[in-house]
Amino acid sequence: MSILEVKNLTHTYDGNTPFMHDAVKNVNFSIEKGEIVGIIGHTGSGKSTLVQHLNGLLKPTSGEILLDGKNIWDDPKKIRSIRSRVGLVFQYPEYQLFEDTVYKDIAFGPKNMGLSENEIAKRISEISELVGIKPEYLDKSPFDLSGGEKRRVAIAGVMAMQPEIIVFDEPVAGLDPRGRADVVQMISDYRNKYNATVLIISHNMEDMALIADRLIVMNKGEMVLFDTTENVFKQYELLKSIGLNVPMVTQVMLSLKEKGLNIPDDIFTVDRAVDYLLTLIKGGNYNA
Amino acid sequence: MLKDITFGQYFESNSFIHKLDPRTKMLLLIAVIVFIFVSQNAVALSLVALLIFVSMILSKVPLKMYLKNLKAILPIIIFTMIINLFYNASGDVILSFWKLTITTGSIYRALYMAARILLLIIASAELTYTTTPNDLTDAIEKLLSPLKFIGLKNAVHTLAMMMTIALRFIPTLIEETQKIMNAQKARGADLENGKLIERIKALIPILIPLLISSVRRAYELAEAMECRCYNGGEGRQRMKQLKYKSNDFTAFATVTIVCSAVVAINIIL
Repeated sequence: MSILEVKNLTHTYDGNTPFMHDAVKNVNFSIEKGEIVGIIGHTGSGKSTLVQHLNGLLKPTSGEILLDGKNIWDDPKKIRSIRSRVGLVFQYPEYQLFEDTVYKDIAFGPKNMGLSENEIAKRISEISELVGIKPEYLDKSPFDLSGGEKRRVAIAGVMAMQPEIIVFDEPVAGLDPRGRADVVQMISDYRNKYNATVLIISHNMEDMALIADRLIVMNKGEMVLFDTTENVFKQYELLKSIGLNVPMVTQVMLSLKEKGLNIPDDIFTVDRAVDYLLTLIKGGNYNA
Repeated sequence: MLKDITFGQYFESNSFIHKLDPRTKMLLLIAVIVFIFVSQNAVALSLVALLIFVSMILSKVPLKMYLKNLKAILPIIIFTMIINLFYNASGDVILSFWKLTITTGSIYRALYMAARILLLIIASAELTYTTTPNDLTDAIEKLLSPLKFIGLKNAVHTLAMMMTIALRFIPTLIEETQKIMNAQKARGADLENGKLIERIKALIPILIPLLISSVRRAYELAEAMECRCYNGGEGRQRMKQLKYKSNDFTAFATVTIVCSAVVAINIIL
Protein backbone atom coordinates (compact mmCIF):
# COMPACT_ATOMS: atom_id res chain seq x y z
CA MET A 1 0.00 0.00 0.00
CA SER A 2 1.23 3.51 -0.73
CA ILE A 3 2.27 5.50 2.30
CA LEU A 4 0.76 8.73 0.97
CA GLU A 5 -2.15 9.10 -1.35
CA VAL A 6 -3.70 12.32 -2.65
CA LYS A 7 -7.18 11.92 -4.07
CA ASN A 8 -9.01 14.53 -6.18
CA LEU A 9 -7.42 17.34 -4.19
CA THR A 10 -8.79 20.80 -4.98
CA HIS A 11 -8.05 23.96 -3.05
CA THR A 12 -9.88 27.21 -3.67
CA TYR A 13 -8.50 30.43 -2.24
CA ASP A 14 -10.75 33.36 -1.29
CA GLY A 15 -13.99 31.50 -1.94
CA ASN A 16 -17.02 33.75 -2.63
CA THR A 17 -14.95 36.86 -3.29
CA PRO A 18 -13.89 38.47 -6.57
CA PHE A 19 -10.37 37.11 -5.88
CA MET A 20 -11.54 33.47 -5.85
CA HIS A 21 -9.30 31.06 -7.71
CA ASP A 22 -8.31 27.41 -7.66
CA ALA A 23 -4.71 27.08 -6.52
CA VAL A 24 -4.80 23.30 -6.87
CA LYS A 25 -7.20 21.52 -9.20
CA ASN A 26 -8.14 17.86 -8.95
CA VAL A 27 -4.71 16.45 -8.18
CA ASN A 28 -4.24 12.69 -7.79
CA PHE A 29 -1.09 10.77 -6.97
CA SER A 30 0.27 8.17 -4.60
CA ILE A 31 3.75 7.78 -3.22
CA GLU A 32 5.50 4.62 -2.04
CA LYS A 33 7.50 4.31 1.17
CA GLY A 34 11.16 5.30 0.81
CA GLU A 35 10.75 7.15 -2.46
CA ILE A 36 12.22 10.57 -3.20
CA VAL A 37 9.69 12.52 -5.22
CA GLY A 38 10.43 15.90 -6.76
CA ILE A 39 7.75 18.51 -7.41
CA ILE A 40 8.56 20.95 -10.17
CA GLY A 41 6.51 23.75 -11.64
CA HIS A 42 6.53 27.40 -12.49
CA THR A 43 6.10 30.03 -9.74
CA GLY A 44 2.41 30.11 -8.81
CA SER A 45 1.73 26.62 -10.18
CA GLY A 46 0.34 25.47 -6.83
CA LYS A 47 3.36 23.51 -5.53
CA SER A 48 3.49 25.18 -2.12
CA THR A 49 -0.29 25.04 -1.69
CA LEU A 50 -0.17 21.35 -2.55
CA VAL A 51 2.46 20.44 0.03
CA GLN A 52 0.75 22.42 2.80
CA HIS A 53 -2.13 19.96 2.51
CA LEU A 54 0.07 16.98 3.21
CA ASN A 55 0.52 17.83 6.91
CA GLY A 56 -2.86 19.44 7.37
CA LEU A 57 -1.81 23.10 7.43
CA LEU A 58 -4.42 23.65 4.75
CA LYS A 59 -7.70 21.84 4.59
CA PRO A 60 -8.74 20.60 1.14
CA THR A 61 -11.72 22.40 -0.38
CA SER A 62 -12.54 18.98 -1.77
CA GLY A 63 -10.73 15.66 -2.02
CA GLU A 64 -8.69 13.85 0.59
CA ILE A 65 -5.17 13.07 1.79
CA LEU A 66 -4.61 9.46 2.86
CA LEU A 67 -1.66 8.68 5.13
CA ASP A 68 -1.17 4.91 5.41
CA GLY A 69 -4.65 4.60 3.93
CA LYS A 70 -6.28 6.81 6.58
CA ASN A 71 -7.75 10.22 5.80
CA ILE A 72 -5.75 12.73 7.87
CA TRP A 73 -8.88 14.80 8.50
CA ASP A 74 -10.84 11.87 9.98
CA ASP A 75 -10.30 13.42 13.39
CA PRO A 76 -9.59 17.16 13.02
CA LYS A 77 -8.52 17.33 16.70
CA LYS A 78 -5.63 14.98 16.05
CA ILE A 79 -4.24 16.98 13.14
CA ARG A 80 -1.26 18.04 15.26
CA SER A 81 -0.11 14.45 15.51
CA ILE A 82 -0.10 14.26 11.70
CA ARG A 83 2.45 17.08 11.69
CA SER A 84 5.00 14.98 13.53
CA ARG A 85 4.50 12.19 11.00
CA VAL A 86 4.68 14.45 7.96
CA GLY A 87 7.45 17.03 8.47
CA LEU A 88 7.42 20.19 6.38
CA VAL A 89 10.49 22.37 5.89
CA PHE A 90 9.43 25.71 4.48
CA GLN A 91 11.30 27.96 2.11
CA TYR A 92 14.09 29.88 3.89
CA PRO A 93 13.52 27.92 7.11
CA GLU A 94 16.31 29.86 8.85
CA TYR A 95 13.90 32.78 9.26
CA GLN A 96 11.90 30.72 11.76
CA LEU A 97 14.72 30.25 14.27
CA PHE A 98 13.86 31.92 17.56
CA GLU A 99 15.50 30.25 20.55
CA ASP A 100 18.68 31.48 22.23
CA THR A 101 20.65 28.31 21.57
CA VAL A 102 20.84 25.93 18.64
CA TYR A 103 20.01 23.03 20.99
CA LYS A 104 16.77 24.62 22.20
CA ASP A 105 15.72 25.51 18.69
CA ILE A 106 16.13 21.96 17.42
CA ALA A 107 14.32 20.75 20.56
CA PHE A 108 11.21 22.86 19.80
CA GLY A 109 9.58 20.28 17.53
CA PRO A 110 10.33 17.18 19.68
CA LYS A 111 9.15 19.10 22.77
CA ASN A 112 5.83 19.87 21.09
CA MET A 113 5.49 16.14 20.48
CA GLY A 114 5.71 15.62 24.24
CA LEU A 115 8.93 13.59 24.23
CA SER A 116 11.02 13.19 27.39
CA GLU A 117 14.18 15.26 27.94
CA ASN A 118 16.31 12.12 27.51
CA GLU A 119 14.72 11.19 24.24
CA ILE A 120 15.07 14.78 23.00
CA ALA A 121 18.77 14.86 23.90
CA LYS A 122 19.29 11.54 22.14
CA ARG A 123 17.54 12.70 19.00
CA ILE A 124 19.42 15.99 18.90
CA SER A 125 22.81 14.33 19.09
CA GLU A 126 21.75 11.87 16.41
CA ILE A 127 20.41 14.52 14.06
CA SER A 128 23.21 17.02 14.59
CA GLU A 129 25.67 14.33 13.61
CA LEU A 130 23.62 13.51 10.53
CA VAL A 131 23.37 17.11 9.32
CA GLY A 132 26.91 17.99 10.39
CA ILE A 133 26.34 20.37 13.30
CA LYS A 134 29.38 20.12 15.60
CA PRO A 135 28.56 19.49 19.30
CA GLU A 136 30.12 22.82 20.35
CA TYR A 137 27.66 24.62 18.08
CA LEU A 138 24.69 23.39 20.11
CA ASP A 139 25.24 26.01 22.81
CA LYS A 140 25.72 28.88 20.38
CA SER A 141 23.00 31.33 19.48
CA PRO A 142 21.52 30.42 16.11
CA PHE A 143 21.74 34.07 15.13
CA ASP A 144 25.55 33.99 15.29
CA LEU A 145 25.77 31.32 12.59
CA SER A 146 26.31 31.79 8.86
CA GLY A 147 23.42 31.50 6.42
CA GLY A 148 24.24 27.92 5.44
CA GLU A 149 24.66 26.84 9.07
CA LYS A 150 21.34 28.42 10.03
CA ARG A 151 19.66 26.48 7.23
CA ARG A 152 21.15 23.24 8.62
CA VAL A 153 19.88 24.00 12.12
CA ALA A 154 16.40 24.81 10.81
CA ILE A 155 16.26 21.60 8.78
CA ALA A 156 17.55 19.64 11.78
CA GLY A 157 14.67 21.15 13.78
CA VAL A 158 12.18 19.34 11.57
CA MET A 159 14.27 16.18 11.17
CA ALA A 160 14.52 15.81 14.95
CA MET A 161 10.81 15.06 14.97
CA GLN A 162 11.76 12.00 12.87
CA PRO A 163 8.83 12.23 10.49
CA GLU A 164 8.13 9.26 8.22
CA ILE A 165 7.51 11.65 5.37
CA ILE A 166 9.50 14.84 5.07
CA VAL A 167 8.64 17.59 2.62
CA PHE A 168 11.07 20.31 1.57
CA ASP A 169 9.99 23.53 -0.11
CA GLU A 170 12.96 24.85 -2.09
CA PRO A 171 15.55 23.54 0.38
CA VAL A 172 18.56 24.87 -1.54
CA ALA A 173 17.23 28.33 -2.49
CA GLY A 174 19.79 31.05 -1.87
CA LEU A 175 22.68 28.73 -0.94
CA ASP A 176 26.11 28.58 -2.56
CA PRO A 177 27.11 25.44 -4.51
CA ARG A 178 28.78 23.92 -1.46
CA GLY A 179 25.78 24.58 0.77
CA ARG A 180 23.50 23.15 -1.91
CA ALA A 181 25.47 19.93 -2.15
CA ASP A 182 25.49 19.65 1.66
CA VAL A 183 21.72 20.03 1.92
CA VAL A 184 21.11 17.48 -0.84
CA GLN A 185 23.45 15.09 0.99
CA MET A 186 21.59 15.67 4.30
CA ILE A 187 18.30 14.85 2.64
CA SER A 188 19.48 11.57 1.20
CA ASP A 189 21.28 10.66 4.45
CA TYR A 190 18.06 11.21 6.38
CA ARG A 191 16.13 9.08 3.93
CA ASN A 192 18.63 6.24 4.15
CA LYS A 193 18.92 6.30 7.92
CA TYR A 194 15.22 6.41 8.78
CA ASN A 195 13.86 4.79 5.61
CA ALA A 196 11.80 7.94 5.19
CA THR A 197 9.80 9.13 2.23
CA VAL A 198 10.89 12.50 0.83
CA LEU A 199 9.13 15.13 -1.25
CA ILE A 200 11.13 18.06 -2.60
CA ILE A 201 9.97 21.19 -4.35
CA SER A 202 12.79 22.66 -6.38
CA HIS A 203 13.56 24.81 -9.38
CA ASN A 204 16.92 23.19 -9.71
CA MET A 205 16.64 20.48 -12.34
CA GLU A 206 20.24 19.32 -11.77
CA ASP A 207 19.50 18.48 -8.12
CA MET A 208 16.28 16.76 -9.16
CA ALA A 209 18.14 14.64 -11.70
CA LEU A 210 20.57 13.62 -8.97
CA ILE A 211 18.22 12.53 -6.21
CA ALA A 212 14.60 12.26 -7.33
CA ASP A 213 13.15 8.85 -8.21
CA ARG A 214 9.96 10.29 -9.62
CA LEU A 215 8.79 13.77 -10.53
CA ILE A 216 5.45 15.55 -10.24
CA VAL A 217 5.08 18.37 -12.74
CA MET A 218 2.58 21.09 -11.81
CA ASN A 219 1.18 23.73 -14.12
CA LYS A 220 -1.51 26.29 -13.20
CA GLY A 221 -2.74 24.17 -10.30
CA GLU A 222 -2.98 20.95 -12.26
CA MET A 223 -0.68 17.97 -12.24
CA VAL A 224 0.46 17.53 -15.84
CA LEU A 225 2.97 14.71 -15.36
CA PHE A 226 3.82 12.15 -12.71
CA ASP A 227 6.47 9.74 -13.85
CA THR A 228 10.05 8.60 -13.29
CA THR A 229 12.62 11.38 -13.48
CA GLU A 230 13.93 9.84 -16.69
CA ASN A 231 10.58 9.80 -18.44
CA VAL A 232 9.75 13.34 -17.32
CA PHE A 233 12.99 14.83 -18.58
CA LYS A 234 12.45 13.10 -21.92
CA GLN A 235 9.43 15.36 -22.44
CA TYR A 236 11.60 18.33 -23.29
CA GLU A 237 9.03 20.12 -25.47
CA LEU A 238 6.21 19.80 -22.92
CA LEU A 239 8.40 21.07 -20.06
CA LYS A 240 9.54 23.99 -22.17
CA SER A 241 5.95 24.92 -23.06
CA ILE A 242 5.07 25.35 -19.36
CA GLY A 243 8.14 27.44 -18.59
CA LEU A 244 10.32 24.68 -17.17
CA ASN A 245 13.52 23.18 -18.40
CA VAL A 246 15.60 20.03 -18.36
CA PRO A 247 19.03 19.90 -16.68
CA MET A 248 21.70 22.02 -18.32
CA VAL A 249 23.73 18.99 -19.34
CA THR A 250 20.69 17.47 -21.05
CA GLN A 251 20.27 20.67 -23.03
CA VAL A 252 23.89 20.43 -24.15
CA MET A 253 23.41 16.79 -25.13
CA LEU A 254 20.24 17.64 -27.03
CA SER A 255 22.02 20.33 -29.06
CA LEU A 256 24.85 17.91 -29.82
CA LYS A 257 22.25 15.45 -31.01
CA GLU A 258 20.73 18.10 -33.24
CA LYS A 259 24.17 18.59 -34.77
CA GLY A 260 24.00 14.96 -35.80
CA LEU A 261 25.88 13.21 -33.00
CA ASN A 262 24.77 9.76 -31.90
CA ILE A 263 23.42 10.61 -28.45
CA PRO A 264 20.39 9.23 -26.59
CA ASP A 265 18.01 11.72 -24.96
CA ASP A 266 18.18 10.34 -21.42
CA ILE A 267 21.39 11.87 -20.10
CA PHE A 268 20.56 14.00 -17.05
CA THR A 269 23.72 14.07 -14.99
CA VAL A 270 27.19 15.36 -15.78
CA ASP A 271 28.78 12.01 -14.81
CA ARG A 272 26.71 10.10 -17.31
CA ALA A 273 27.38 12.68 -19.99
CA VAL A 274 31.13 12.36 -19.42
CA ASP A 275 30.97 8.55 -19.57
CA TYR A 276 28.95 8.61 -22.72
CA LEU A 277 31.06 11.19 -24.52
CA LEU A 278 34.25 9.30 -23.61
CA THR A 279 33.02 6.03 -25.08
CA LEU A 280 31.84 7.96 -28.11
CA ILE A 281 35.29 9.52 -28.62
CA LYS A 282 37.11 6.24 -28.01
CA GLY A 283 34.86 4.38 -30.39
CA GLY A 284 35.27 7.03 -33.03
CA ASN A 285 31.66 6.46 -33.99
CA TYR A 286 30.36 10.05 -33.73
CA ASN A 287 27.53 10.11 -36.20
CA ALA A 288 24.05 8.77 -35.75
CA MET B 1 -7.74 34.73 9.95
CA LEU B 2 -5.31 37.54 9.25
CA LYS B 3 -6.40 38.07 5.69
CA ASP B 4 -9.86 39.17 6.85
CA ILE B 5 -8.54 42.53 7.98
CA THR B 6 -10.12 45.00 5.57
CA PHE B 7 -9.61 48.35 7.26
CA GLY B 8 -7.46 50.66 5.18
CA GLN B 9 -8.06 48.66 2.03
CA TYR B 10 -8.09 50.66 -1.18
CA PHE B 11 -10.89 49.92 -3.60
CA GLU B 12 -9.96 50.59 -7.21
CA SER B 13 -12.54 52.64 -9.12
CA ASN B 14 -12.83 55.82 -11.13
CA SER B 15 -15.62 57.62 -9.29
CA PHE B 16 -16.16 61.29 -8.50
CA ILE B 17 -14.84 60.69 -4.97
CA HIS B 18 -11.78 58.76 -6.18
CA LYS B 19 -10.84 61.63 -8.47
CA LEU B 20 -10.96 64.28 -5.75
CA ASP B 21 -7.67 65.64 -4.53
CA PRO B 22 -6.58 63.67 -1.43
CA ARG B 23 -6.16 66.94 0.48
CA THR B 24 -9.77 67.81 -0.27
CA LYS B 25 -10.93 64.45 0.97
CA MET B 26 -8.87 64.71 4.12
CA LEU B 27 -9.96 68.25 4.98
CA LEU B 28 -13.60 67.45 4.24
CA LEU B 29 -13.42 64.32 6.36
CA ILE B 30 -12.17 66.41 9.27
CA ALA B 31 -14.98 68.94 8.68
CA VAL B 32 -17.60 66.19 8.52
CA ILE B 33 -16.29 64.56 11.71
CA VAL B 34 -16.39 67.91 13.52
CA PHE B 35 -19.94 68.55 12.35
CA ILE B 36 -21.09 65.08 13.39
CA PHE B 37 -20.31 66.30 16.89
CA VAL B 38 -21.55 69.85 16.35
CA SER B 39 -25.00 68.55 15.37
CA GLN B 40 -27.18 68.86 18.43
CA ASN B 41 -30.36 67.23 17.23
CA ALA B 42 -31.62 64.50 14.96
CA VAL B 43 -32.50 66.85 12.11
CA ALA B 44 -29.00 68.29 11.94
CA LEU B 45 -27.42 64.85 12.24
CA SER B 46 -29.59 63.39 9.50
CA LEU B 47 -28.47 66.21 7.24
CA VAL B 48 -24.82 65.14 7.81
CA ALA B 49 -25.90 61.52 7.37
CA LEU B 50 -27.49 62.40 4.05
CA LEU B 51 -24.27 64.06 2.91
CA ILE B 52 -22.24 60.96 3.86
CA PHE B 53 -24.78 58.67 2.23
CA VAL B 54 -24.67 60.59 -1.05
CA SER B 55 -20.87 60.50 -1.04
CA MET B 56 -21.01 56.74 -0.38
CA ILE B 57 -23.11 56.25 -3.49
CA LEU B 58 -20.84 58.53 -5.49
CA SER B 59 -17.78 56.53 -4.38
CA LYS B 60 -19.06 53.43 -6.24
CA VAL B 61 -17.55 51.25 -3.50
CA PRO B 62 -19.89 48.28 -2.93
CA LEU B 63 -22.09 48.66 0.14
CA LYS B 64 -20.81 45.24 1.28
CA MET B 65 -17.37 46.71 1.94
CA TYR B 66 -18.83 49.28 4.34
CA LEU B 67 -20.96 46.68 6.08
CA LYS B 68 -17.99 44.36 6.55
CA ASN B 69 -16.20 47.15 8.37
CA LEU B 70 -19.19 47.85 10.59
CA LYS B 71 -19.39 44.24 11.69
CA ALA B 72 -16.06 44.62 13.47
CA ILE B 73 -17.20 47.60 15.56
CA LEU B 74 -20.68 46.29 16.28
CA PRO B 75 -19.73 45.37 19.89
CA ILE B 76 -18.62 48.96 20.55
CA ILE B 77 -21.87 50.32 19.16
CA ILE B 78 -23.99 47.93 21.21
CA PHE B 79 -22.00 48.71 24.35
CA THR B 80 -22.46 52.45 23.82
CA MET B 81 -26.18 51.98 23.25
CA ILE B 82 -26.64 49.97 26.44
CA ILE B 83 -24.74 52.47 28.55
CA ASN B 84 -26.75 55.36 27.10
CA LEU B 85 -29.98 53.48 27.51
CA PHE B 86 -29.69 53.64 31.30
CA TYR B 87 -27.92 56.92 31.91
CA ASN B 88 -30.42 59.42 30.64
CA ALA B 89 -33.55 60.07 32.58
CA SER B 90 -35.37 62.64 30.48
CA GLY B 91 -38.80 62.02 28.90
CA ASP B 92 -41.48 59.51 29.82
CA VAL B 93 -40.59 56.34 31.70
CA ILE B 94 -41.19 53.28 29.55
CA LEU B 95 -39.70 50.53 31.63
CA SER B 96 -38.36 50.49 35.15
CA PHE B 97 -36.81 47.64 37.07
CA TRP B 98 -34.42 47.41 39.99
CA LYS B 99 -32.42 50.68 39.84
CA LEU B 100 -32.62 50.99 36.06
CA THR B 101 -35.11 52.97 34.07
CA ILE B 102 -35.57 53.27 30.36
CA THR B 103 -37.22 56.45 29.14
CA THR B 104 -38.14 57.84 25.72
CA GLY B 105 -35.28 60.29 26.20
CA SER B 106 -32.77 57.54 26.83
CA ILE B 107 -33.87 55.51 23.81
CA TYR B 108 -33.51 58.59 21.66
CA ARG B 109 -30.08 59.22 23.16
CA ALA B 110 -28.92 55.64 22.58
CA LEU B 111 -29.95 55.69 18.94
CA TYR B 112 -28.38 59.11 18.48
CA MET B 113 -25.02 57.93 19.87
CA ALA B 114 -25.09 54.79 17.75
CA ALA B 115 -25.77 56.89 14.67
CA ARG B 116 -22.84 59.13 15.49
CA ILE B 117 -20.38 56.24 15.74
CA LEU B 118 -21.74 54.67 12.57
CA LEU B 119 -21.30 57.89 10.64
CA LEU B 120 -17.77 58.39 12.00
CA ILE B 121 -16.68 54.92 10.90
CA ILE B 122 -18.35 55.09 7.51
CA ALA B 123 -16.86 58.48 6.71
CA SER B 124 -13.32 57.49 7.72
CA ALA B 125 -13.56 54.15 5.93
CA GLU B 126 -14.64 55.95 2.79
CA LEU B 127 -11.42 57.96 2.81
CA THR B 128 -9.26 54.82 2.88
CA TYR B 129 -11.44 53.00 0.34
CA THR B 130 -11.14 55.80 -2.19
CA THR B 131 -7.58 57.05 -1.63
CA THR B 132 -4.36 55.11 -2.15
CA PRO B 133 -1.98 55.10 0.82
CA ASN B 134 0.55 57.03 -1.25
CA ASP B 135 -1.94 59.76 -2.04
CA LEU B 136 -2.85 59.94 1.63
CA THR B 137 0.70 60.51 2.77
CA ASP B 138 1.27 63.04 -0.03
CA ALA B 139 -1.75 64.90 1.24
CA ILE B 140 -0.50 64.81 4.83
CA GLU B 141 2.89 66.09 3.76
CA LYS B 142 1.32 68.91 1.77
CA LEU B 143 -1.16 69.84 4.49
CA LEU B 144 1.54 69.92 7.16
CA SER B 145 4.00 71.82 4.96
CA PRO B 146 3.31 75.14 6.71
CA LEU B 147 5.25 73.66 9.66
CA LYS B 148 8.46 74.25 7.73
CA PHE B 149 8.16 77.94 8.59
CA ILE B 150 8.76 77.08 12.21
CA GLY B 151 11.86 75.03 11.38
CA LEU B 152 10.26 71.61 11.02
CA LYS B 153 10.71 71.13 7.27
CA ASN B 154 12.57 67.84 7.48
CA ALA B 155 10.32 66.57 10.22
CA VAL B 156 7.27 66.84 7.99
CA HIS B 157 8.91 64.98 5.15
CA THR B 158 10.29 62.31 7.48
CA LEU B 159 6.90 61.80 9.07
CA ALA B 160 5.25 61.40 5.67
CA MET B 161 7.96 58.96 4.54
CA MET B 162 7.57 56.92 7.72
CA MET B 163 3.85 56.71 7.18
CA THR B 164 4.31 55.62 3.57
CA ILE B 165 6.74 52.91 4.62
CA ALA B 166 4.53 51.73 7.46
CA LEU B 167 1.50 51.46 5.19
CA ARG B 168 3.54 49.78 2.48
CA PHE B 169 4.74 47.07 4.85
CA ILE B 170 1.44 46.13 6.48
CA PRO B 171 0.54 43.53 3.82
CA THR B 172 4.12 42.25 3.76
CA LEU B 173 4.14 41.73 7.51
CA ILE B 174 0.74 40.04 7.48
CA GLU B 175 2.05 37.63 4.86
CA GLU B 176 5.25 37.07 6.81
CA THR B 177 3.34 36.40 10.04
CA GLN B 178 1.19 33.85 8.28
CA LYS B 179 4.29 32.11 6.91
CA ILE B 180 6.03 31.95 10.28
CA MET B 181 2.85 30.71 11.95
CA ASN B 182 2.58 27.92 9.40
CA ALA B 183 6.23 27.01 9.84
CA GLN B 184 5.93 26.77 13.62
CA LYS B 185 2.68 24.86 13.31
CA ALA B 186 4.52 22.43 11.04
CA ARG B 187 6.94 21.92 13.95
CA GLY B 188 4.02 21.02 16.16
CA ALA B 189 3.34 24.40 17.77
CA ASP B 190 -0.16 24.64 19.22
CA LEU B 191 -1.57 28.12 18.72
CA GLU B 192 -5.27 27.48 19.16
CA ASN B 193 -5.59 25.60 22.43
CA GLY B 194 -4.47 25.99 26.01
CA LYS B 195 -4.89 28.50 28.80
CA LEU B 196 -4.25 32.20 28.40
CA ILE B 197 -0.65 31.99 29.69
CA GLU B 198 0.14 29.05 27.41
CA ARG B 199 -1.32 30.84 24.43
CA ILE B 200 0.74 33.94 25.14
CA LYS B 201 3.84 31.77 25.47
CA ALA B 202 2.98 30.12 22.17
CA LEU B 203 3.34 33.51 20.50
CA ILE B 204 7.06 33.79 21.31
CA PRO B 205 8.17 31.49 18.44
CA ILE B 206 6.20 33.77 16.11
CA LEU B 207 7.03 37.20 17.47
CA ILE B 208 10.79 36.74 17.69
CA PRO B 209 11.33 35.70 14.06
CA LEU B 210 8.90 38.44 13.01
CA LEU B 211 10.82 41.06 14.94
CA ILE B 212 14.15 39.86 13.57
CA SER B 213 12.93 39.86 10.02
CA SER B 214 11.44 43.34 10.45
CA VAL B 215 14.79 44.68 11.60
CA ARG B 216 16.49 42.91 8.72
CA ARG B 217 13.99 44.42 6.28
CA ALA B 218 14.53 47.85 7.77
CA TYR B 219 18.29 47.59 7.22
CA GLU B 220 17.82 46.37 3.67
CA LEU B 221 15.32 49.11 2.90
CA ALA B 222 17.57 51.81 4.37
CA GLU B 223 20.46 50.54 2.29
CA ALA B 224 18.38 50.41 -0.87
CA MET B 225 17.20 53.97 -0.25
CA GLU B 226 20.75 55.19 0.28
CA CYS B 227 21.87 53.41 -2.88
CA ARG B 228 19.36 55.52 -4.75
CA CYS B 229 20.82 58.64 -3.14
CA TYR B 230 17.89 59.32 -0.83
CA ASN B 231 18.82 62.06 1.62
CA GLY B 232 15.58 63.39 2.98
CA GLY B 233 13.10 65.80 1.48
CA GLU B 234 15.57 68.51 0.47
CA GLY B 235 15.09 69.45 -3.19
CA ARG B 236 12.86 66.48 -3.95
CA GLN B 237 10.31 66.86 -6.68
CA ARG B 238 7.19 64.89 -7.47
CA MET B 239 6.10 63.23 -10.64
CA LYS B 240 2.45 63.64 -9.67
CA GLN B 241 1.74 67.19 -8.52
CA LEU B 242 -1.33 67.65 -6.36
CA LYS B 243 -3.64 70.23 -7.89
CA TYR B 244 -7.14 71.35 -6.92
CA LYS B 245 -9.61 71.03 -9.80
CA SER B 246 -13.19 72.18 -10.29
CA ASN B 247 -14.47 68.93 -8.73
CA ASP B 248 -12.71 69.85 -5.51
CA PHE B 249 -14.43 73.23 -5.37
CA THR B 250 -17.81 71.57 -5.91
CA ALA B 251 -17.08 69.23 -3.00
CA PHE B 252 -15.87 72.06 -0.75
CA ALA B 253 -18.96 74.15 -1.58
CA THR B 254 -21.35 71.27 -0.91
CA VAL B 255 -19.84 70.45 2.46
CA THR B 256 -19.73 74.15 3.44
CA ILE B 257 -23.43 74.53 2.65
CA VAL B 258 -24.34 71.40 4.65
CA CYS B 259 -22.21 72.56 7.57
CA SER B 260 -23.81 75.99 7.65
CA ALA B 261 -27.22 74.34 7.47
CA VAL B 262 -26.25 72.23 10.50
CA VAL B 263 -25.32 75.37 12.43
CA ALA B 264 -28.56 77.05 11.37
CA ILE B 265 -30.67 74.07 12.45
CA ASN B 266 -28.81 73.95 15.77
CA ILE B 267 -29.75 77.59 16.42
CA ILE B 268 -33.38 77.33 15.27
CA LEU B 269 -34.34 74.08 16.98
